[in-house]
Amino acid sequence: MANVLVWAVWVVAAFSCLASGIAVVSFANPFFSALALIGNLASLAVLYLLLSAEFVAAGQVLVYAGAVMVMFLFVTAYLGGRADAPWAGGPTWQQFGAVLAAGAILVEVIVVIGLKAGGRLSHEAKIDAGFGSPHRIGRVFLTDHLLAFEITSVVLLVAAVGAVILGAHSRGDRVPGHVSGPGRGTWPEET
Amino acid sequence: MSEPWWVSVIKALVIINLVLLTFAYTTLLERKLLARMQLRFGPNRAGPYGLLQPIADLVKLVRKESFFPTAAIDAPYILAPVVSAFTALAAFAVIPFGNGWNIWRYHVNGVVANVPISLILIFALGSIGIYGFIVGGWASESKYSLLGSMRTCAQLVSYEVSLALSVLGVVITAGSLSLVQIVHNQAHSLWYVVPQAVGFLVFLISGVAETSRAPFDLPEAEQELVAGYHTEYSGMRWGLFQMAEYVNMITLSGLAITLFLGGWHFPFAHGVDFLGPLWFFVKLLALLFAFIWLRATLPRLRYDQLMSFGWKILLPVATVNALVTALVVVWAN
Repeated sequence: MANVLVWAVWVVAAFSCLASGIAVVSFANPFFSALALIGNLASLAVLYLLLSAEFVAAGQVLVYAGAVMVMFLFVTAYLGGRADAPWAGGPTWQQFGAVLAAGAILVEVIVVIGLKAGGRLSHEAKIDAGFGSPHRIGRVFLTDHLLAFEITSVVLLVAAVGAVILGAHSRGDRVPGHVSGPGRGTWPEET
Repeated sequence: MSEPWWVSVIKALVIINLVLLTFAYTTLLERKLLARMQLRFGPNRAGPYGLLQPIADLVKLVRKESFFPTAAIDAPYILAPVVSAFTALAAFAVIPFGNGWNIWRYHVNGVVANVPISLILIFALGSIGIYGFIVGGWASESKYSLLGSMRTCAQLVSYEVSLALSVLGVVITAGSLSLVQIVHNQAHSLWYVVPQAVGFLVFLISGVAETSRAPFDLPEAEQELVAGYHTEYSGMRWGLFQMAEYVNMITLSGLAITLFLGGWHFPFAHGVDFLGPLWFFVKLLALLFAFIWLRATLPRLRYDQLMSFGWKILLPVATVNALVTALVVVWAN
C-alpha cells in the first residue's frame, strides 16, 4: 500500500518535473517561463521528500522556489513581461549546440549512475532515523565538505559586495542628506 | 505517540474551521477596537453588538459578482488568491496548541502535523504565499495592481530575512527546528521571550511588515495605490486575499507564541496544561490586540524609511542577536 503510494507520487512528481522543464523553454512569455521554473523546483522538492530528505526539500522550496524565483518574477514583471515575437529564422547553431550538450549530460548522468551504483540500484537503501536531519547535514557541511561550503560563502560575499557597489554607483549623484521621496518632492502650486 | 489517520483528518478539519472563525471575528474585533480607539461605535447593526457582521460580510462577498478586467490573464488571475489562501491556511497545521489528550482509546496529538522541521516548513509556505500576491497583481493587467505587487514583493523579501534571522536565536537556544520540541523546552525554563528579548522584538516588527499591516502597510496604501495588488479583484476572490492576510497574521501570532511565549503552557503552573488550547487562544487574542493597537496608533512609513529601517537597522540587529546567542550557547556548553 505504502509502496503504491510512493510510486504514484514519484510518477506524478517526475512527470511534472519533466513537463515543467519543457514548459520553461517553450513559453514565449518570460513570466510564464518563470512560473514553470517554480513548478519544476517544487516537483524536485517532492522527489527529495520521497528520498527521505525533508530538510533539503524544505530548503529547496524556501530558497529556490521561494526567495530566488521571487526575484526572477519581480524583474520580469518590472520589465513588462510580455511575450516576445516568436523566432522567425530556422534552427541556429546555438540550438544545435544546446541539444548536443543536453544529450551529452544525459548520457553522462546515466553512465555515472550506472558505474557508481551498479547493482545497488535494485535494492532499497538502508537509512537510519537521523538521515537527512538538519543536525546531520550541518555536520557534513562543517567536516567533509568544509572547503566547498567556505568557497560558496566567499562567492556569495563577493556577489553581495558587488551588488552594493553597483547600487552605490547608480546613486552617486545624489546630494548627501537630501531625501527624495514621497512627501519631499516639490508639487506645483495649485492656482 | 502516533494517532490513527482519521483522527488527523478530523483534527485538520476542526482546526481549519477554527482558524477561519478566528479570522472572521478578527475582522470584527479590528473594526470594533479601531472604532473605540477613534471614539466611534463601529459596526453595531448586524446582530447584538454587531456580532453577526462577519456573517453578513461573508454573505455579501459570496453573492457579489466576481467581475474581472478583460485584459486579465485568466489562469494566473484566478489561481493567485487560491495559492495565497492555501499557503496561509496550511501553515497553521504545524503550530502546536496543546499537549495531546487520551480520548477514549485513542491518543490525540496537540498539533495537526508533527514534523521535525516545522519551523522551516512555515517559512517555506510563507515564501510560496508571496507568489499569490505578485502573480495576482501582474495578471490583473493594471498599473495600480502591478505597483502594489512590486511593493509587496520588495517589502516581503526584505523583511523575510530579518524574520528568519530573529528566529535563529530561539532555534540555537532550543537546539531544535521542531515547534513541538521548542514549546516542550519552554515548559521548565524561562520562556524564550526573556533570553531572546531582542529576537522577539525583531520578530514582531518584521512580522508586522511581513503581514503588510500598519505602519508597514505600503503595499496597500490606499491614498497612493487604490488598494495595491488586489485592486482588480472583487467578490470572494478578493475575500480570499483578505483571508490570506488575516490568516497570515493569526499564524504569525501563533508562531510568536510558540517560539517566544511558551506556546500553550500556562505560566508557572503545569496542573492546567490539559487546557492548552485555551491558554494558546488567550495569548493569541493578546497579540492580535497588539497588532490592531499598532494600526490605530502609528502612521504609515515612507517607502525609503521602510527600506532603510529593514536593511540598515533591523537586519544588523537580528544578525548580531543570532551571533551573540550562538556565542553564549557555545560558551555555556
